[in-house]
Amino acid sequence: MRLETCYYCSSTIWPGHGIQFVRNDCKIFRFCRSRCHRAFKKKWNPRKSRWTKAHRKFTGKDLATDPTFEFEKRRNEPVKYNRELWQNTLQAMERVEEVRTKRERHHIMKRLRQGTFDRKAADLREVRDYIHLVRAPNATKPMEEIEMVQKAIAKREEAGELLTKVGTTVATTKKLSALRRRAPKIDVIIETSDTEQMIAEDVE
Amino acid sequence: MASSQYNFKKIVTIPTAQDFIDIILSKTQRKTPTVVHKQYKIARIRNFYLRKIKFTQQSFHDKLQLILTEFPKLEEVHPFYADLMNVLYDKNHYKLALGQLNIAKNLIDNVAKDYGRMMKFADSLYRCKCLKRAALGRMATIIKRQAQSLQYLEQVRQHLSRLPSIDPNTRTLLICGYPNVGKSSFLNKITRADVEVQPYAFTTKSLYVGHTDYKYLRWQVVDTPGILDHSLEDRNTIEMQAITALAHLRAAILYVMDISETCGYTLEEQLNLFNNIKVLFTNKPLLIVLNKIDIKQFDELSEEKKAVFEQFRKDDVRIIEMSTFSEEGVIEVRNEACDRLLAHRVDIKLKSRKVNDVLNRLHVTQPQKRDERVRAPYIPEGVIQRLESMQVTNNNNDQNVSIEKKKTERDLEIELEEDYHLDLRKTWSLKDNDERYDILPEIYRNKNVADFIDPDIMTKLEELEREEEAREQAGFYDMNESEDDEETTAIRKLAKKIRYKRQVIIGEARSKKQARRTPSVPRPKRAVDRENLENTMSGLGIDMDNKEDSHYVAKVHETRSRSLSRPEIKRKREDSEGHVRSSSKVPRDQSGVRDVTMAKKARKINKISQRKMNLGGKTGEADRRIFIKKPKHLFSGKRSTGKTDRR
Repeated sequence: MRLETCYYCSSTIWPGHGIQFVRNDCKIFRFCRSRCHRAFKKKWNPRKSRWTKAHRKFTGKDLATDPTFEFEKRRNEPVKYNRELWQNTLQAMERVEEVRTKRERHHIMKRLRQGTFDRKAADLREVRDYIHLVRAPNATKPMEEIEMVQKAIAKREEAGELLTKVGTTVATTKKLSALRRRAPKIDVIIETSDTEQMIAEDVE
Repeated sequence: MASSQYNFKKIVTIPTAQDFIDIILSKTQRKTPTVVHKQYKIARIRNFYLRKIKFTQQSFHDKLQLILTEFPKLEEVHPFYADLMNVLYDKNHYKLALGQLNIAKNLIDNVAKDYGRMMKFADSLYRCKCLKRAALGRMATIIKRQAQSLQYLEQVRQHLSRLPSIDPNTRTLLICGYPNVGKSSFLNKITRADVEVQPYAFTTKSLYVGHTDYKYLRWQVVDTPGILDHSLEDRNTIEMQAITALAHLRAAILYVMDISETCGYTLEEQLNLFNNIKVLFTNKPLLIVLNKIDIKQFDELSEEKKAVFEQFRKDDVRIIEMSTFSEEGVIEVRNEACDRLLAHRVDIKLKSRKVNDVLNRLHVTQPQKRDERVRAPYIPEGVIQRLESMQVTNNNNDQNVSIEKKKTERDLEIELEEDYHLDLRKTWSLKDNDERYDILPEIYRNKNVADFIDPDIMTKLEELEREEEAREQAGFYDMNESEDDEETTAIRKLAKKIRYKRQVIIGEARSKKQARRTPSVPRPKRAVDRENLENTMSGLGIDMDNKEDSHYVAKVHETRSRSLSRPEIKRKREDSEGHVRSSSKVPRDQSGVRDVTMAKKARKINKISQRKMNLGGKTGEADRRIFIKKPKHLFSGKRSTGKTDRR
């Protein structure tokens, strides 16, 4: 009795479930349910189906490479039975699973945490750039909350928290500034005809 | 190759001449069109009858062709069969019959061609019909003349299909000798053939075949009719069959002799016959078989009789005795004959050119030693010890040799009967044999245990633990959950408000854009509500307290330009003529007309100018004018239904 993994979605196939397909080159494809089997027959790439584990690992949403994955490996050479070894193995399995799940969760949380930072930065930008929608520039009435917020923003700007231009993200701005540092600025001189120049002078 | 096929069972039945004609003519009647009238076009009639002629010709031709191809050509079959057929059916007669059929076929073709040509000149149905009758009649007559040939060929076919299927190239034993010596009995004994055995001569009138097995091979055994001792020309058909077989089949010859002379012929006579037909035995393994030893033994023979066999001994021919009655020596005879034939065939094959193909299969190669290293077969120690112990016990007690047999599972099963169960684990050899009967988990916590089994697993686990600790200490898992201070919450709240406002503005702009593109009824302009304006502006933080004198406040008292002089005239939307008042069209009779007098004058001038025209009674511009008096579409053309007398 062996638990297999589905070729398409990488879930475990329990005994009595699923379909196996053996190709002419003797490669065996196991599927946990007809959804995966049909997807395979339609020649869909599991890396592109967003619900599969393959996709999640491919796009980095789940932990892909970790020392804890090395413990579970298909072994072809059988080891002679030894009660102590077996007992140790069972304990090790528990512990390894704990560690692995902890690390996986941490990976996901780290990824999601980035979102909170982005949202905070977005809030700051929003307030800094569109404050005129809630308080007219020439307003005279005192509005405490808004004034407090404005002070807070001024403080952060002084502190040097990266407040980018409207409509850009931190990542793209970094790239832009890196580019600017590398490439020199080019001054473009457009040659105008005489008549145009005269008109321009007249206008001035 | 079809030419060396010995199976003549697939020849088609040949009908008698009358039947033949009937079949073909009725076929023509059924398969060709039957209806024709004299008022048809002559080409059609000609075609009709021509078709019948051609159809009949074709049917005859095909059938005769089939017969000619299916009968075996004597030149193409194996010479044994050619000779046999000659003996049985006379080669000349056979060839003649087939030749006649060929001629008949050609004649029929010619008839059809001639009458086909003549048909072109027939000008009435009757003449065509006569031609057709003539053609078909002539074809029928041709076939009627072949009645004899057809009959003969049918008989030949029937006999051919009953010939025994003798393969001339395989291993064959040929039994020959005087009549009544016991050839057919011998055949019955060694094969499953059931040939008639009777005390009168020429019981066997043709060749019979039986099959027997020896050394995993199939052997044909051919029984011939008895041969009498006279010259070749005097032989009858039955004897000739035997001679043919002897002449053409490459077989081992078993010349059967009756040692008891109960067949009616003495040993000298039998010897004479043998000498006469010795010619046929060249290059064939020969065996002299003495039959009927149950009646008379070889030793009981007189001296003169024994002298007969001196010649055989001189010729170095093997003699075997047997009795088909008591079955003594029958098998030996067969075995001996088969062995001799096999050896003979092998010799021939070795001398032939094809031997090299076979030699490859006969050669056995031994691997050459490439170095001096001894590579002895491996025998496990346990086996060696057991063998030695066996040797010792053998040496010790030569009388009671008891080989210690291992107790098998079957023995155990018998011993325990119902309590027995197959215990595969008892042969397991582990470090600690107490662990043999442990229950092993295969799946634990949704994982296969077998995937984790590793002798080094504990070291790896320790390594992992250490790494984990290091990570924890380094602060890898610390999530800096910074508490939101009130500043951040305030910022967030405000940002939310701003975002909402922005969405509203964007939405409005979008709908305005949309409205510009789509056709719609424009809404009347609505004045800005003062209250709304002041509320929004104060919401944005602008002071809106004393705004009575500002421009947007609607003033009750307007300027004094028009209010007292003229009251507002309320006018109907539409005027008396139904024109909408807002339209700026001035009626023609009033455009450019300043006052009533001018209008009157204008009217008068208009009327006067029209007076001359009106008095003349001529067609004016307002009268109907027909430009085209007679439009073509109304005065021409046929109607699809009905008459055209009304236009």
